[in-house]
Amino acid sequence: MRHLTSWRSFGLIIGLVVLLGVPGLLWRSHQVAVVRATYKSPVAPVILVPGSSATQNRFNALVKELNGQTKTQHSLLRVEVKTNGHLVYNGAIRHGDKRPFIVIGFQNHHDGAVNIRKQARWFAIAFRALQRTYHFNHFSAMGHSNGGLVLTLFLENDLAATGATADRLMTIAAPFNLEQASATVETPLFKQLVAGRDRLATSLIVYSIAGSKSYTGDGIVPFASVNRGKYIFQKRVRSFTQIIVSGANANHAHLPENRQIVRLIRQDLLV
Amino acid sequence: MHKTMWRCGHWVMARDYQWRRLNQVMALNQALRVVFPLILLGSLADLVIRGWLTPTGYYYQTLHVENWCPQRARLEQGLLLLQNGAVGLASLGLAIVVSFYLVRQVTRSTDDQLTAGLLAGLTLQLVNVNPVSLQPHHAPAWLAMNLGWHGILAGLVVGLLVGNLYRIGVRIWSSPLDATLRPITLGSLGGLGVATVSGGWLLAAPFTVRAAFNAWLRLPLSFPTGWGQLASFSLLNGAMTWCGTLGALPTTSGQTVAATQNLAAVLGSAHWQVPHVLTVQTVIQTYASMGGPGMALALLLAIFLVRQNAAQRRIGWLSLVPVLGNFNAPLLVGLPVIWRPLLGIPLLLAPLACVSISSLALAFHWVPATAYPLAVSTPGPFLSFLGSGGSLRALLLAIVNLALATAIYYPFVKGDAAVDRRLAEEAKRDATSDELA
Repeated sequence: MRHLTSWRSFGLIIGLVVLLGVPGLLWRSHQVAVVRATYKSPVAPVILVPGSSATQNRFNALVKELNGQTKTQHSLLRVEVKTNGHLVYNGAIRHGDKRPFIVIGFQNHHDGAVNIRKQARWFAIAFRALQRTYHFNHFSAMGHSNGGLVLTLFLENDLAATGATADRLMTIAAPFNLEQASATVETPLFKQLVAGRDRLATSLIVYSIAGSKSYTGDGIVPFASVNRGKYIFQKRVRSFTQIIVSGANANHAHLPENRQIVRLIRQDLLV
Repeated sequence: MHKTMWRCGHWVMARDYQWRRLNQVMALNQALRVVFPLILLGSLADLVIRGWLTPTGYYYQTLHVENWCPQRARLEQGLLLLQNGAVGLASLGLAIVVSFYLVRQVTRSTDDQLTAGLLAGLTLQLVNVNPVSLQPHHAPAWLAMNLGWHGILAGLVVGLLVGNLYRIGVRIWSSPLDATLRPITLGSLGGLGVATVSGGWLLAAPFTVRAAFNAWLRLPLSFPTGWGQLASFSLLNGAMTWCGTLGALPTTSGQTVAATQNLAAVLGSAHWQVPHVLTVQTVIQTYASMGGPGMALALLLAIFLVRQNAAQRRIGWLSLVPVLGNFNAPLLVGLPVIWRPLLGIPLLLAPLACVSISSLALAFHWVPATAYPLAVSTPGPFLSFLGSGGSLRALLLAIVNLALATAIYYPFVKGDAAVDRRLAEEAKRDATSDELA
């Protein structure tokens, strides 16, 4: 009788193990989708986009400065997107580098809303090519001036189709309302960005930095235009932080080399 | 052959019997019995938190907990409080109770027993302070409850150390003029000594007890990728568990890299091919940790196969739910397996056998290696099935491993039950003779 009880308890435990395995067996068909959705590639590049009139070499000094301040030296790859969509590579990503810098510049790097929209489409072409080569599915990005607008347009319009997710976005002196300093005038590009805000990922962390050379702006971009970023990101993304930098190197062109901004990039973007 | 094994078994049981009659071991077993409810409570809370309420949990994923569980974050916070409190207090309690029982064996003075216990508690508290917070005019940051499952060993060691030192004091000063004089003197001197030693440790070592322990454990385990290294890893894991380091060993960056590369390879290709076939995840976590480190599920099954072991079965039933979720602490503390030689042997051998068989099967590509993340609390045999994308061969290998491990545990559990019965009969006889006297 006792012998029978032993086997009964043993059988009960085996039965429990099988029973607890049933949810797993039923869930199995969804497993691949869940794994793919939660999978984060080991490589997560930091993509840098220069503003108008600047080339893919715009951030050479910045990367050198950042590499000098961090323990790990990250490699730098520069990509130029030609007007016909062809890509020209310069530099390389070191094997094993998990956070390489990739600068994406454009052959046509002129100013203007029409060009910015084109540059966003060229950026998407470069992004897909890089994703195919380096097998990453998440990244962080920093855009200076119009580069911030290019990135925002890309995040709203093209990111979802790539299957990748953006972890962090930092815009430096991005003129979300172009050169408009008025609080009442809204440019078509700004309206487009606001209309597309619902397509921004809710997991995104955004930092918008403005330079303050005078009390109204950084000498080129009015502060009011940078401040418009809140209508795009606030109450949509996971967190949105606005920072105003003043002092030395606070004028528009020098902002990427500003020591405070370099520190902000190191502590908030390279995490 | 059979006769030699029979003799060998009896020799091991006799040694185990002698071991369990040692004063130090008796104090230790009594202390483990006292903290068992805390360990059980902490394990159940841990199981619910990690299995049901966090996105990496098996039940969270398979039963879609986020869709129907309101106030999940609040519930998790409450349970975390319970888990940390129960496990932290178990470590502290072990130090106090071990020291208390050790002194109880040499004096009937309750003052001495309690002073020794509190002194051990104070020692564990004092050495576990964040050294960075030791600044003039600032209150130190006490980390009393941060030791987690690994703190069980710290509690045992401190309890034994302080208890034995106090015993020496009692033996030297066996007849004090006043009953309260000895605990006051030894307590004050002990407190001062502990403060000096811990102060020296904290000022010299810029890390906490937990950080130091984890760093020491990670050192030999960085990136095991062959059978020999995995076997060593498994033996070290088993030995640490036997000593009282409960819970899984800390993950190293090398292991994480291997797991990530395997997953990336599987997701990036139509074929199930991984660059690292023999790793901690593909072998130990998948095939040699069912029910928790040491193949605790096999131990549980062996308990219910053995007859005439009511005490073991009681602990088995109480530990059933945590063990089914791969939390083995209640079973290891309740029996106990910790610091018990007879059960320590299969604790090393069973996972080692599973590591060997699984490594062979994986190396010859008889089964696919697991690459998908293993959800916390997945019932043991299903780890391989879900981790390998639904391979029935992997499930079969897991079942073979479980059966083999149960067979390894069975004779040792049977022997342990026999020693239990012998000790219980002796205790009964002693009680009867005491009553007659």
